[in-house]
Amino acid sequence: MIALPLGILMFGALGSALLDGTRRRNGWLAAVILLAAIIATTWLGWDVYHHGTREMAVGGWDQGVGITLRVDMVGIIFAVLCQVVLLGSLIYEVVSDVGARIFPSLVLFLAVGLTGLTFTGDAFNFYVFFEISMMASYILVNYGETPRQFRAAFVFITVNLLGSVLFLIGIAGIYHTTGFLDMVRIREQMPLVQENPAILTATIIFVAFCVKLGLFPFHFWLPTVYTGTRPAVAAMLSGALANIGTYGLIRFGIDIFPRELEAASMVLIVLGSASIVYGGVQALSRHAPAEVLAYSAIGQVGYIMIALAFAGPAGLAAVILYSVLNSINKAVLFLSISLRGWVATTALAIGAFSVAGIPPVGGFFGKFVMFDLAVQNESLVLVALIFIGSLLSIVYMFQMYRRRIATPELEEDVIDGWGVQAVSLVLALSLVGIGIYPEPMLNLIQVAAESVPKGFTP
Amino acid sequence: MPTRDSLQLTGGMLQMGARVLLVPGFIIAIAIMLKGYADIGDGFSAGVIAALVVIVQGLAFGAEELERIAVARLAPLLGFIGLGLAYALAFVPVLFGYPILTHFPRMNEHAEHFGPLEFITPVLFDVAVFLVVYGFCVGAMMAVSRAEVRHQRLIRRARQRAGSRGGDAV
Repeated sequence: MIALPLGILMFGALGSALLDGTRRRNGWLAAVILLAAIIATTWLGWDVYHHGTREMAVGGWDQGVGITLRVDMVGIIFAVLCQVVLLGSLIYEVVSDVGARIFPSLVLFLAVGLTGLTFTGDAFNFYVFFEISMMASYILVNYGETPRQFRAAFVFITVNLLGSVLFLIGIAGIYHTTGFLDMVRIREQMPLVQENPAILTATIIFVAFCVKLGLFPFHFWLPTVYTGTRPAVAAMLSGALANIGTYGLIRFGIDIFPRELEAASMVLIVLGSASIVYGGVQALSRHAPAEVLAYSAIGQVGYIMIALAFAGPAGLAAVILYSVLNSINKAVLFLSISLRGWVATTALAIGAFSVAGIPPVGGFFGKFVMFDLAVQNESLVLVALIFIGSLLSIVYMFQMYRRRIATPELEEDVIDGWGVQAVSLVLALSLVGIGIYPEPMLNLIQVAAESVPKGFTP
Repeated sequence: MPTRDSLQLTGGMLQMGARVLLVPGFIIAIAIMLKGYADIGDGFSAGVIAALVVIVQGLAFGAEELERIAVARLAPLLGFIGLGLAYALAFVPVLFGYPILTHFPRMNEHAEHFGPLEFITPVLFDVAVFLVVYGFCVGAMMAVSRAEVRHQRLIRRARQRAGSRGGDAV
């Protein structure tokens, strides 16, 4: 059952590579394959929800000897989230005409990488899937092949290769200090590892994931890339690929390095706070909507980092909830930013409301759990910071919306059509759905947060 | 400051080195892949070495040279075949009730030999990894060089057009 979503995506990506992706029919075929993978992953999620974590040893080897595929609710939530964002972006591009024959196949390969890394229980296998998704995204960033996209691709590849090398060094460090690559074995062995090597390894891995996430001060590549790529690709990068950073920090931080995470909680709070303020102020000072969204993305990951610093059950639930909402917000905003028409404008408004945390849109619950977390931990500074961050996001989102409505001709490449507008509206309506009836989502996230073993409670 | 003569000499040496390394590079890559079953080495590192010797041809002779070399031109196809082979080896056992990526013959079962080479599915899997790595590295470099060539061509055309407009005005 674990192999089914991966099998669908792997063979789908391979088969799709044979077809001419510029033909609309082949683009739709890739979308159907992705939808089938979402259904298979949801089915697997149903099983995991009722029977707990599922495991499968690859190649029939004993547990701990061969690579283990291990799926829990956190993995399921992130896998489905990434697949849904990719599906929305793929349909958006198919409806507005795909410009490269390999585009649908690359989106499926990106889905293979992202689904694989949420399904694996092996640190090196995590790296392999991580690289599969990065390879696909290196080519996707260049999609469009204008000098602007070429420049963005160059920056993206250079910085992210550095991040990948750091991550690989971190994995080598884990293997050297514990002698294992299986995450459960590593978790058991890690308390016996001396403090200094463990802190060094944890720091390297933390930096690698922060580069992917675009947290301040590792954000320098993000505005160039998000503003240089096509809207659908920017939505994939910010709504799906950036989840590698959050998911990686949950898996490696809370699961494997809880002692080091506890020691570094103040650093996380400082970096998160700096990211919120820096991203918010920069977004406020920008005029181009894509730039506002890029800096907003830097600000929003600051909240995730602060929630991670309080890595108890409430903190972990906040990390997951905020990541889910942030991914959908970014996908909606990047997809609707280049569109004309009242439907797209409505989607844009919903996305902007969600980032600002205004009810009844889902983003309100993200901000609410952050406030609740700060109050529970009796941190007035954090309450003030989250308030300032929310205020900044309301102002810059309002500014962006006003500019976008008042001067739509600011954008160089405005995309027209009902189909693309419908895609952004459907994603936006999911935010309204979460805002009006949040219980199923909160329940799932609670179950997910409880399924991750936590080494400490702050 | 390097002189034109010294640059020509370096270019000549690079071209000669690149040509001399092409065939031995491939032989070393294959040797490393096969050696993986007795000693350190595998399909991944072999793929990187094979890709490097081909990419060096592009650096020494220009992007157009890569289009002339058959193993470079076919790199995406080879990568595709490798990926298909790897997927087949991973998922076909699932159809027969075995876990994903189960290899044959199983442990303690007899494997046929050809000299030091064993006929076991992990060898095929390593060949697949070799093809994927080689196909991706060379294919990606060729895609980038094609985009760069196209970009340069566009700039040249734009300059020519601007020049001819200036000439008309005069």
